[in-house]
Amino acid sequence: MRFDFLELPGEAERLVRPVVPVQVEDLEDAPQLCLIDTGSTANRFGAWIAEATGIDLGAAPESLVMVGGVHTTARHARAELTIAGLRYEAPVSFCDPWPFAFNLLGQEGFLRFFRIELCAAEFWLDVRPEVARD
Amino acid sequence: MPRFTIAGRPFDLDHSGVERVARDLLPDPVREHYVVMGGRRFPPKQVISCVTGIDRADFTTHQARRILKRLGFVAARAGHDQGDEDVAAPARGPHRGRQAAALEPYVGKWVAMSGPTEVLVAADSPGEVLAWLSRHERRASFGMFRVPASVEEAEGVAPL
Repeated sequence: MRFDFLELPGEAERLVRPVVPVQVEDLEDAPQLCLIDTGSTANRFGAWIAEATGIDLGAAPESLVMVGGVHTTARHARAELTIAGLRYEAPVSFCDPWPFAFNLLGQEGFLRFFRIELCAAEFWLDVRPEVARD
Repeated sequence: MPRFTIAGRPFDLDHSGVERVARDLLPDPVREHYVVMGGRRFPPKQVISCVTGIDRADFTTHQARRILKRLGFVAARAGHDQGDEDVAAPARGPHRGRQAAALEPYVGKWVAMSGPTEVLVAADSPGEVLAWLSRHERRASFGMFRVPASVEEAEGVAPL
């Protein structure tokens, strides 16, 4: 499935970002735009999403992590994500605080489930579910 | 202060007073006509109803639109946005700058979008956006996110 990069308001020149809409659990009305981040080891979402979708983080293991220079508490859980038509259960770190505009899709929980082709010159990316391998 | 008669009742309205009320409102979905207030598009009847307390069924869209235009607000019709064509062609991006222009008024806000340039609602918190979508039975099929106010917010660049 092909997605256009997202244009953002910017002063000097247009900023564009490779993002994909992600349905979290059954939040069908409001898929979250998430930034593809090959440098992130995990999916990192704002903690408000867990609350909005009824994911109980009460007993979730937590750790202090630093993302983009910000110390944040990450609570590790599993969530049903739907991306490019594929619904699957993924590990997600729900972070608070989360001062960033986008959630991050990282290696564990996203990249290992999909094959990605990026064309920054033409501002698009293709996301295809990875063919299951034995 | 101009006086208007709406549904048989007199009201004294001015630009700043109406704008002040609109500041605390989340715009309802725009069907055809809208007025621009604080960079956001409102259905004219929503604004007049909130300012006067009169039920929306008791006056017409055209009446509301005429009043708001007299107060100095820009009124237009959805799908007739001439500004889209004026965006410079060489702008970078898949939508040649139209998407960035559509998001420009909402920097720092949470937005829900039904298409690449269609902002359904903008609010200060994600909870407000979700509540609005639920209340109006609308779907942000394009996605929901916070329009970043800086590069740091957009991509998590470490501050210096």
